[in-house]
Amino acid sequence: MDTPIKSKDPRVEAAISHWAPRFVINGVPLTDFQEVTASVDRWEDWCSAWSARAAIHEELGNKALADGFKLSAGEHFTCAAVCYHFGKFLFVNDMAQMRQAHKKTVECRIKALPLIEPPGERVAIPYEGKHLYGNLRKPKGVAKAPIVVMCMGLDSTKEEMDDYENRFLKRGVATLAFDGPGQGEAEYDFAICPEYEKPVKAVIDHLETRSDIDAGRIGIWGVSLGGYYAPRAACFEKRIKACVALSGAYERSSSFEGRPIINVEAFRVRSKSANLEEAGRVSVRMSLKGIAKNITCPIYIVAGTNDRLTPHTAAEKLAAEVSGPCVLSVIEGGNHVVNNYWYRYRDQTADWMATQLGVTKR
Amino acid sequence: MDTAHGSRDKRVEIAIHNWAPRFVSSGVPLTDFEEVTASITHWDEWCAAWSARAAVHEALGREALAQGYRHSAGQHLTRAALCYHFGKFMFVHRMDEMRRAHRKVIECRQLALPLIDPPGERVEIPYQGTKLYGILRKPAGSAKPPVVVMCVGLDSTKEELDVYENIFLARGMATLNFDGPGQGEAEYDIPIRGDFEVPVKAVFDYIQTRNDLDGGRAAIWGVSLGGYYAARAAAFEKRAKACISLSGPYHWVDTFDGRNELSRDAFRVRSHSKTMDEAREKAKTLSLEGVARNITCPIYVVTGEFDNLTPPHNARRIASEVSGPCELLIVKGGNHVANNRRYMFQSQTADWMAQHLGLGRNEVGTARIEDGALTQ
Repeated sequence: MDTPIKSKDPRVEAAISHWAPRFVINGVPLTDFQEVTASVDRWEDWCSAWSARAAIHEELGNKALADGFKLSAGEHFTCAAVCYHFGKFLFVNDMAQMRQAHKKTVECRIKALPLIEPPGERVAIPYEGKHLYGNLRKPKGVAKAPIVVMCMGLDSTKEEMDDYENRFLKRGVATLAFDGPGQGEAEYDFAICPEYEKPVKAVIDHLETRSDIDAGRIGIWGVSLGGYYAPRAACFEKRIKACVALSGAYERSSSFEGRPIINVEAFRVRSKSANLEEAGRVSVRMSLKGIAKNITCPIYIVAGTNDRLTPHTAAEKLAAEVSGPCVLSVIEGGNHVVNNYWYRYRDQTADWMATQLGVTKR
Repeated sequence: MDTAHGSRDKRVEIAIHNWAPRFVSSGVPLTDFEEVTASITHWDEWCAAWSARAAVHEALGREALAQGYRHSAGQHLTRAALCYHFGKFMFVHRMDEMRRAHRKVIECRQLALPLIDPPGERVEIPYQGTKLYGILRKPAGSAKPPVVVMCVGLDSTKEELDVYENIFLARGMATLNFDGPGQGEAEYDIPIRGDFEVPVKAVFDYIQTRNDLDGGRAAIWGVSLGGYYAARAAAFEKRAKACISLSGPYHWVDTFDGRNELSRDAFRVRSHSKTMDEAREKAKTLSLEGVARNITCPIYVVTGEFDNLTPPHNARRIASEVSGPCELLIVKGGNHVANNRRYMFQSQTADWMAQHLGLGRNEVGTARIEDGALTQ
C-alpha cells in the first residue's frame, strides 16, 4: 500500500488525496490506482499514464469480444472507459490530449453498452439546435419502468456511472446518465449552465417521447456539482417525482479560494470563461437560496462531515428550506460524495428512490 | 494510502503487505481496509478491529432487512461476513476470539444467502460419519446447470468467495464451495489432509444426489492452497471435467519453509499439529509429485510473476507434468493469486470453464461513436 512520497506536483497530490476512494468504488482496480498514481510525478503526465493503463483493459475487451465472450468484453470495456475517463476528467490544461482520452472513454463505454447486463443504449437528446448525449439502461423484465435521470458534476461524465446505475437497475429503476452543458460530450459546445432546469427539461421532454419507460415516474439524481443541479432542476421541473442530491452546493460564491487549482481550472474552462473573474460570475449564479422552497417532491440529501470541497452545511441549508418530505443524511467522517463510506448511502438512496417511484421493495 | 510503519507488530505488516488487494477485490471497502489496518499496532488487536468494522455492516444489513429492503440487506450482510472473516482468517493464536468472529462470519453469510441474487443455500455434505458444510448457488433460469466445486485455501473459507461465485453464476454455472478438512467450519474437528481427493469425492457424490445440478458437467476450482487441492483432486476424481488452479503449491513443504510466521502458524494449528516439526512432516503429504501426471482433464493454471508466497515455478511444474490440455498463465506483475491483477484471469478463467462445461459463446457486434462533438 505504499505510495512513495517523492516531490510530487501538488496537482497530482491533490488528485490522489481527494479521489482515491472515488476511483476505486467507481470501478478502477486498486492496484491500477496505486501504480498509475505512483508513476506520475508531474500533472502533465497524468492523462497519458491513465490512458496507457486504460489501453490494457481495452485490449482485454477486444480479445474477449473476438473470442465471443460478451459479458467479459463488456466488463473490460467499462473498466477501460473509467480509466480513460479519469485520465481526462480534469485535464483541461491540454485540450488535445484530453479530447483524445475522452474519445476513447466514450468509445469504450459505447462498445460496452450492448454487452453488459442489463444492456444500455446511447440516446441523443435535442437541445438548443444540437444534441446532448446520454446512456439509457432498463431493468430486466420490466415493461415500462420508472427512470432516474442522473446529473454529473464538474469532472464526472456519464461513463463513470456504472456502479450507481447498477444499484438502481437491480431495484427495477431505469437509468439515464447524461452529459449536460459543460459536461462530457457537451463540454465542447455548451458552457456550464447554472440554470440546470433548462437541460433537464429537454431530457424529460425527450423521455416523454419514449414508449418503453414510464415518464409519469421520473426521479432525478445528482452527484457533486450535480448534487446542486438535481435539486435546482427540481425547483422548477414539476414532472420530477423525487430527488437525490449528493454533496451538492447550496450557494456558490464568486471566489474559488481554498479549492484545488485543477478544479478551479476545470470550472473556468468548462464555463468558457476567459479568466477567474468571469468564471466567478458563473459560479455565483449557482444558488438555491430563495428557490429551494419550490422543491415540493421528496428529496434525499447526502453529505459528509469531512467534505473539503462542499461543506456539509450546504446540505443542512437545503434540507431546512425545501417544502416537501426530506431525508437528510450527514455522514460522520464522510469525504466529498462520501466515497469513503459509500455503503452508508449508495444502496440506501437507491432503495429510497425505488420506493418513491412506486417500485415494490426487493 | 499510507500505512504508517513506526513500531508496528511484524505480523500486522505481513498481513497488510500480503493481502491488501485480496481484501479489496473480494469486497472489503477500501476505506475500511485503510482505517482498520491503520488503527492496529499489535497483531492481538486485529480480530477485534475487523469485527468492530464488520458489526457496522451487520447493523446496516439488519436495518435494511427490517425495512424490507432485501437486496440491500444481502449486500451489507455479505460485506459483514467478509469483514468478520478477515478478522478471523489467520487469528489462530487466540482460538476463543477467532471462533467468536467465525460464528459471526457464518451467521451473516447465512442471513445473506436467501437475499442475494441469485440466492444461495447452505448444504450438508456427508463425510466420513460427519458432515462438511457448503454454499450452493444456482444461476437464474437454468433447470439443471453445470456446477463448479470451489476449494478454498489455508486461510480462506466459503464465505470469502462472493465475487468469484458471481462471475461463474453470471456465465451460467452453479457454484458449490465448501469448507474442507482444516478449513472454516471443519477446521475444529477435521485436520488438513494432503489427499484432498477424499473430501472432494464426498462433494462429487453429493452432487449426484441432487436433481437440480448436472452431475455430468461438474468441474473443480481452487485458490491458493486450494489451487493445490483442486489439482490434487482432479488427478483422482475423474468426474471433474475441468480444473482451475490459482497459485497452488506443487510440493507444499518447499513453499511452507519460505512462508511467513502467520502462514506457518495457521498451518500448524489447522493441521492439528502440536509442534512446527510435526506440522512440517504433515506438510510433506501435500504434494503433486508423481500425481500431477494423472490429471487428464483440461486444466487452467494461474499464478503471479511476483508471487512471494507460492512462487511461479510451482505453476510451471504442475503445467509441465499434467497429461491433458493445459493453459498456463503467469500474470505479469502479479502477486499471490494475482489479486492485484484479477482482471487478467478472473473472467478469462470463468469463460474458459464455461466452454469446458458446454456453455456457448455469444455472438456480438462492435459499436462506435457515430455522432456528437467528439466525431468532429
